[in-house]
Amino acid sequence: MRNTSVSGTGITSLGDTQPALRYLTGVDWGLLVSALLLAAVGLATVHSASSELPVDYLPRQALWLGLGLAALLVASSIDYHTLLDHSSLLYLCGLAGLVLVFFVGHEAGGAQSRLGFGGFSIQPSEFAKLATAIALSRYLGELKQPYLDLRNIAIALAIVSLPVAAVAAEPDLGSAAMFLPMVAGMLLVAGIKWRTLVGAGVVALLLAAGVWSFGMQSYQRQRVITFLSPDSDPLGAGYQVRQSKIAVGSGGLVGQGYMQGTQSQLRFLPARHTDFIFAVLAEEWGFLGVMTVIALYALFLYCAARVALRARNRAGILLVSGLVSLMAFHIVYNTAMVVGLVPITGIPLPFLSYGGSFTLMCFLATGMILGVDLRRYVNR
Amino acid sequence: MGSSSIKVRESRDELIGRVRLLSAGMVGSLVLVLFGFWSVQIVSGEQYRDQAENNRLRREPVEALRGLILDRHGRVLVENVASYNLLIQRSRAFDLESSFQFAGEILGRPSETLSGVFDNARPARQFSPVLIAENLSLAEVARFGVNSFEHPEFEIQVRHLRLYRHGPQTAHLLGYLAEVTERELAREQSLFLAGAQVGRRGVEQIYDEMLRGRNGEQVVVVDSRGRLVEEFHKVAAEFGENLTLTLDLDLQQEAVELLDGKVGAVVALDPRNGAILALVSAPSYDPNLFSRRLQQDEWRALVEAPHHPLQNRVVQNTYSPGSIFKIVMATAGLTEGTITHSDQVWCGGASKFYNRRFRCWKRAGHGWVNLKSALKSSCDIYFYNLGQKLGIQRIARYSRLMGLGRKTSVDLAGEKEGLVPDMNWSTRARGTNWYPGETISVAIGQGPLLVTPLQIASMMALVANGGQRVSPHLNAELNHLPTQPAGLSTEALAEIRQALWAVVNERKGTGARARVDGLDIAGKTGTVQVVGQRTWTDSSTLPPEQRDHAWFASFAPVENPELVVVVFVEHGGKGSSAAAPIAQALYAKHLGLGNGNHLSR
Repeated sequence: MRNTSVSGTGITSLGDTQPALRYLTGVDWGLLVSALLLAAVGLATVHSASSELPVDYLPRQALWLGLGLAALLVASSIDYHTLLDHSSLLYLCGLAGLVLVFFVGHEAGGAQSRLGFGGFSIQPSEFAKLATAIALSRYLGELKQPYLDLRNIAIALAIVSLPVAAVAAEPDLGSAAMFLPMVAGMLLVAGIKWRTLVGAGVVALLLAAGVWSFGMQSYQRQRVITFLSPDSDPLGAGYQVRQSKIAVGSGGLVGQGYMQGTQSQLRFLPARHTDFIFAVLAEEWGFLGVMTVIALYALFLYCAARVALRARNRAGILLVSGLVSLMAFHIVYNTAMVVGLVPITGIPLPFLSYGGSFTLMCFLATGMILGVDLRRYVNR
Repeated sequence: MGSSSIKVRESRDELIGRVRLLSAGMVGSLVLVLFGFWSVQIVSGEQYRDQAENNRLRREPVEALRGLILDRHGRVLVENVASYNLLIQRSRAFDLESSFQFAGEILGRPSETLSGVFDNARPARQFSPVLIAENLSLAEVARFGVNSFEHPEFEIQVRHLRLYRHGPQTAHLLGYLAEVTERELAREQSLFLAGAQVGRRGVEQIYDEMLRGRNGEQVVVVDSRGRLVEEFHKVAAEFGENLTLTLDLDLQQEAVELLDGKVGAVVALDPRNGAILALVSAPSYDPNLFSRRLQQDEWRALVEAPHHPLQNRVVQNTYSPGSIFKIVMATAGLTEGTITHSDQVWCGGASKFYNRRFRCWKRAGHGWVNLKSALKSSCDIYFYNLGQKLGIQRIARYSRLMGLGRKTSVDLAGEKEGLVPDMNWSTRARGTNWYPGETISVAIGQGPLLVTPLQIASMMALVANGGQRVSPHLNAELNHLPTQPAGLSTEALAEIRQALWAVVNERKGTGARARVDGLDIAGKTGTVQVVGQRTWTDSSTLPPEQRDHAWFASFAPVENPELVVVVFVEHGGKGSSAAAPIAQALYAKHLGLGNGNHLSR
């Protein structure tokens, strides 16, 4: 803000001559490097976690990482204003993907949520999140008043509710719920009055009660009950929480050593290459490893938040805020779940968990954040 | 442009503070999460490491084979045979319902029975195999083996069971095995495993620790489905020691046959060292029933059976000794000098003591009798007189010197000590003074006096070996235990031995039916009244449960005795006719076994 006009012109003139150089000097290296380091840690941990599985997921995850890097480059190179200009189209595409799974999707984990391409399959809901973030940024970015009124909030929620409803109908409540932290972050930044917040809290409580009574399957209710008292059924639903905590706890300060974690190598740990990959890391690398990776996440989130702080306009700030909120929620919830602080639900850990669509989504989001940063001097 | 740009910037700046708020929220959450990891990994790390070890390691006992039990000639009485149990591993079952269906078909049991057993078992670990059936036949084991591909959830466990080769014939001396109780488990946790078998009754109980050996342990690394990954640690099992008994199986089997259909006891031992050669209690039971788990109704049937087959009558039941006790009286009288061998007493069939009339068993009376003829014809009047002279205190003292009223400390469980009454006992146990008239009853082995057949056998050993107290035993290693002098007159005992020889071998001796050609047997008959009789009645006319008990206590040869035989038949009638022939047959058998060289003249 202090030196916007001075360096802004300099970069612009440089950019005219050498776009690659402009990219290299303008890109936020802290954000990019932390993401790449996390992805590298993820590759190593996926390898260890899958050593007792029928296939080693390392090559597949490496492939997804390659695709993710390409997606990151493309996303960061596109001017986010262009994305905003075409937000309606992207939004519709996202919705179309969600609708498509109803007809040609296949099932995974009880929900019809995937689209297949050859040997791979993707989960359209991940990309719908990004499209929704862009559409919301477009709408909220154009508002001028310091606080949102009820009409603004209603419209914003309307924009979100379509994809959320589609995902929830698959039925994939976990993924549908992941829209909420993103939207909440954007609405918070766009400006919500306290009384609105309190009102929303009341509504949310009522909604939660309604969902508990009518919207949840019995196994989902069981998960919440199990979380509240994990020892009530140690061999049933509490098994995962218990095994995860045992894995994490037995890591101690320095860990059992790479590929040496008994909880994961002897297959006591469930979903160890996906949702519980952080438990594998905690068991094998101990509290020191946990601190290191959490520090990398903190660096990543700090750099991303810094991009929001120096973004050129409302839409840029809101877009970055939404994406940061989404990633931060994944990071905090997944790690908290692994250590038994919150109920278990299928929320993967960015850059570490194995998974195609989710990895792609994380890199795309990172690319979009970098893209906003690269255009912080562009006047429009 | 400028004004709109300012306006844009203004509305942008408002967002900055909120982004900072959002960032603070993220930092706060990450700190909270880190605190959670610190608490689980650093604060409770130790505890979770233990749980991980518990997850990963499974302790499996390695069964120690129990020692064999052999007779004195090395013939196997008890051995171990493999038995096959069926276990089910829940985690490998595709569909428990169909698993039980399948197993039920092979075993010929309804599948609900099996699933009921499974539901009741409730294993400690999710992936521990559960025992659902025991003692499968080899054909059944084979069928599970053949189908192990379709039904990998079934495991066959090999366990060893005790096989008592001679079943009821050796039941009372050997005992049996039964599952350890919770109380024993709590007391000696290091020794037993839950479900372990421990010796009950007989030498199985007394020598349990030696026979049992020590179980080993195998610690294996298992994965989450309970599959073995590798061996971690192994302690080999120490097999139990074999136990060689003093028992002579042939003599034992002969005694069993002789008691067939009767209720009673036979014990044969070596008077020189107390080694028991035969020990039979009838009726008996099959200890092999206990090897496979005994059913509730089978147990009740055994406990409620009319003649209590589980009772070892040789050591666990006490009876009046009857005329056998006259041996103790004679020993006391001669050692104390109260009588000499030539003192005579007139027997007219009845006599008055302390204003009460006491009858001799022989209505017509024996006429003049001395010690030898009194023993030979078992004259009661002679011993009434002796009892009156000795008094209850001296009778009791000599009874105890000869091993009555206290345990023989034989290596069998549940031995009774019997009862030797005296004045002290009367005031302590009954709260009344001793009636002098009771002394007269005790003098012929009636009254409150109670003995076990084994006590009589060790008393006879003492008479036979010249006054040395021996410890009756079954463990052959105890043969060399030193004997102890009881403090009796050896001359008196020699005289009594001659009198007892006359009982069997001279005319009009009551033990004539025990006579064996070529063998000098000495013995004494006993007939115990079960129902009080006022007149001379023949009890064989009474209903069976009111008939007299028959005793015969003996040893042979009279010079340097080598074998004591005591026979007791409940409600058998007269000792001379019901018990003595059994002893006779045993001596004959013993001679026939090639022991004749030592026993015969």
